[in-house]
Amino acid sequence: MIRKVTVGRTTWNELPHKFEAGTAPIAEAVGLGAAIDYLSEIGLDAIERYERDLLDYALPKLEAAEGVRVFGPSADRRAGIVSFEVEGAHPHDVAQVLDWEGVAVRAGHHCNQPLMAKLGVPATSRASFYLYTVPEEIDRFVAGVEKARKVFS
Amino acid sequence: MSSEFDNLYREVILDHYKNPRGHGVIEGADVEAEGQNPLCGDEVSIFVSFDGDRIEDVKFRGRGCAISQASTSMLMELVKGRTAEEVAGMSKDELLDEVGIPLTPVRLKCALLGLGVLKLALHKGKGTALPEEWAGLAQDLELK
Repeated sequence: MIRKVTVGRTTWNELPHKFEAGTAPIAEAVGLGAAIDYLSEIGLDAIERYERDLLDYALPKLEAAEGVRVFGPSADRRAGIVSFEVEGAHPHDVAQVLDWEGVAVRAGHHCNQPLMAKLGVPATSRASFYLYTVPEEIDRFVAGVEKARKVFS
Repeated sequence: MSSEFDNLYREVILDHYKNPRGHGVIEGADVEAEGQNPLCGDEVSIFVSFDGDRIEDVKFRGRGCAISQASTSMLMELVKGRTAEEVAGMSKDELLDEVGIPLTPVRLKCALLGLGVLKLALHKGKGTALPEEWAGLAQDLELK
């Protein structure tokens, strides 16, 4: 933001205002406040418990699926997130099949190529769960993973 | 999902992915080149041996998504026996027609990785021109 502009001279406002041109992100600030109220009302402990329940539901199913390798620690040491590979199928193809099943996952090297090299994989697929995820969606996810394996292997 | 699925992963794509043609290494190849798509981690290496100006044999190895591997496999069948000059001038569309599926811009790079690597191999081996349109792609695909 400026303090004063003439044809011959511009004077900038003092910091931090000189770097805050335009309308402040008012809608975003109000939205953030509403999100904080919403999460506080549910309770962060409750959210963590629910995430853990989803993990406890999803991990055994995924680990039991044929040709699926799950990366990462046991359920008690992770957040609601699970990276995996499907035998014979590239993670981008897995993600594509899941997408058609209505399940969105991340696929790629997750900004961590050295770890991919250490794990010996070109990339992984990664699903994450949160308070708006329901168990039926995890069922659909696991079914989609099994479908991907059948198609590509 | 079935129609979308059939569009992208039609039977011939899956067949080339699972049973790639010209897959392997040519020991003592006249030239080899490799490339990867850093966005996906797709990798392709191509080996060429010549009989005069003609591509006597061509093989590839690599790993990546079904589209990148299947299109490279199809490419091997398309170019064997043709002259380096001919293949250097081959349009993307000739390969894409063979692949025969609608591709998003990201997937297009997967489909063209093998062709980019092959053109580079021919350039290294026979000094054929690298078309201008490949210059940008060559950077994106980290060809070497």
